[in-house]
Amino acid sequence: MGKVVLEVKDFSFRYRQTKQKAIKNISFQVEEGSFFCIIGANGSGKSTLCNALVGLIPHYFVGKMSGEVFVNGMKVEDSTIADLSAKIGLVFQNPFNQLSYTAGTVAEELAYGLGNRGVSHEEMVKKVEYVAKLMRIDHVIHKNPLELSGGQIQRVALGSTFIMEPRVLVLDECTTQLDPLGSEEIFDIVKSLNQKGITVIMVDHEMERVARCADKIMVLDGGEIVAIDIPERIFETPDIVKHRIGVPDYVKICQSLREKGYTKREIEIAEEPTIELVKEALKG
Amino acid sequence: MKIELRNMRYVYPTGDEALKGIDLLIEGIEPVAIIGQNGAGKTTLVKHFNGILRPTSGEVLINGENIQNCSTAQWSKEVGYIFQNPDDQLFLESVRKEFEFGPLQIGMSKEEIEERMKWVATLVGLSDKLDIHPFDLTSTEKKFCSIGAIIMMNPNAMIFDEPTCGQDVDGNLRLRKIINELKERGKLCITISHDMKFVVDNFKRVIVMWKGKVLLDEKAENVFSQVETLKKSFVSPPPITKVAQGAGLRKTVFTTEAFIKVFEEQRMV
Repeated sequence: MGKVVLEVKDFSFRYRQTKQKAIKNISFQVEEGSFFCIIGANGSGKSTLCNALVGLIPHYFVGKMSGEVFVNGMKVEDSTIADLSAKIGLVFQNPFNQLSYTAGTVAEELAYGLGNRGVSHEEMVKKVEYVAKLMRIDHVIHKNPLELSGGQIQRVALGSTFIMEPRVLVLDECTTQLDPLGSEEIFDIVKSLNQKGITVIMVDHEMERVARCADKIMVLDGGEIVAIDIPERIFETPDIVKHRIGVPDYVKICQSLREKGYTKREIEIAEEPTIELVKEALKG
Repeated sequence: MKIELRNMRYVYPTGDEALKGIDLLIEGIEPVAIIGQNGAGKTTLVKHFNGILRPTSGEVLINGENIQNCSTAQWSKEVGYIFQNPDDQLFLESVRKEFEFGPLQIGMSKEEIEERMKWVATLVGLSDKLDIHPFDLTSTEKKFCSIGAIIMMNPNAMIFDEPTCGQDVDGNLRLRKIINELKERGKLCITISHDMKFVVDNFKRVIVMWKGKVLLDEKAENVFSQVETLKKSFVSPPPITKVAQGAGLRKTVFTTEAFIKVFEEQRMV
């Protein structure tokens, strides 16, 4: 394993208003520069874990916590949210939870975090222009964020995190408001950031995308880790569906063809290789 | 149930033309899916089905009657619209009150409300959460709460705007159950969705919107076999369908079983 950028040690958390622990004594590490996906049914603890990674637990959410989370060796519990925001950024599931609600325009919303960091005006303008273009919201930059469509607001939320240039990016179902093409656009941007060395931690329900993007997948069920492995091994395990998660169509096709003896090859987890496998099997 | 649109246009107060002459007929109770890119006009279109929006020109007829003849409150007895964002719809202090509110407005009897409440709460999976504040529900439970509140009013048609967003496997199964049960009770469901797997699993008829127009309105198999036209509207078939097309299978398939069947037919020859 390369350099560890994120470490979770014996971590548990229970929200004040609930009886059940949302996270039950989990430990794992994430390697720098990797694409790490977290999957699991709703209520399995994915969002709680995201909140813990960026320090919203314990600094914002009240509850009972034990164990430790380290980002770049910095203990989250002992660091301020402002210090953490330079290292790790979270894009929320609901973009409306992320807006500052103090900015009059999209440009101000994007610049909000930079302002708090004391970046010069000139630099700020440059960065806002760059990110607005990247997120394809440059045409609405002078509009009020609340006048935008759901998809556009989600792009603003993503942009306001990207602009802070964190080395670790946590994405919690960050494209639910976008259409498939819009989502793909965003994931292309995320992938290019990952190729430049940014560590990505992503929660997503779209298993084809998870299989395609992830170096490693962690499966959560009832606040516990049930598996951490490479995508091929996660999805080839038949028991995985017991944890109420889907399996990519590609895996289902490959497994059916294998069961019926039409191919001897291992499962594929992406479109192109699956098509090749089917073509080969068709020839007999 | 009959929803009919004749050369219907809608222009926003800003001057943007959102719908550019729509002719559409939805009749009966067979569930219909509406798909298309963000900004294609899907939500603007369905908001005309119960008068939340009024056409700039052309006609919208519900069971033969012009939409202009009644208020939105009156139409909502006939056609229920479930908002994309539950926070736009929910505003009371408990799930029970959300479920009672609409029916009380339209004068439903206490007995009927009680009876429907049991069925609806079970259907949407909130039986043990009736006395909880909607803000304490998870985002998917909120969605089911807003769905339940509309079903409670017993409209003859229901419009779901992006019900799958943020749903997991169980949530999608529950939505499927809701759509099936409503059909059994003779209700029409119209659903906007970006989730193509969900669309092909649950809908026989698919309408594709593109730049304020209806681009395709056909059986799902026919829609997803027109790859080039779909590309124009930036809609992509479900992954399994794309693999079948890529590998040269000659029929449009949506399930693993259908995939294998067509594969075997072609392999034999």
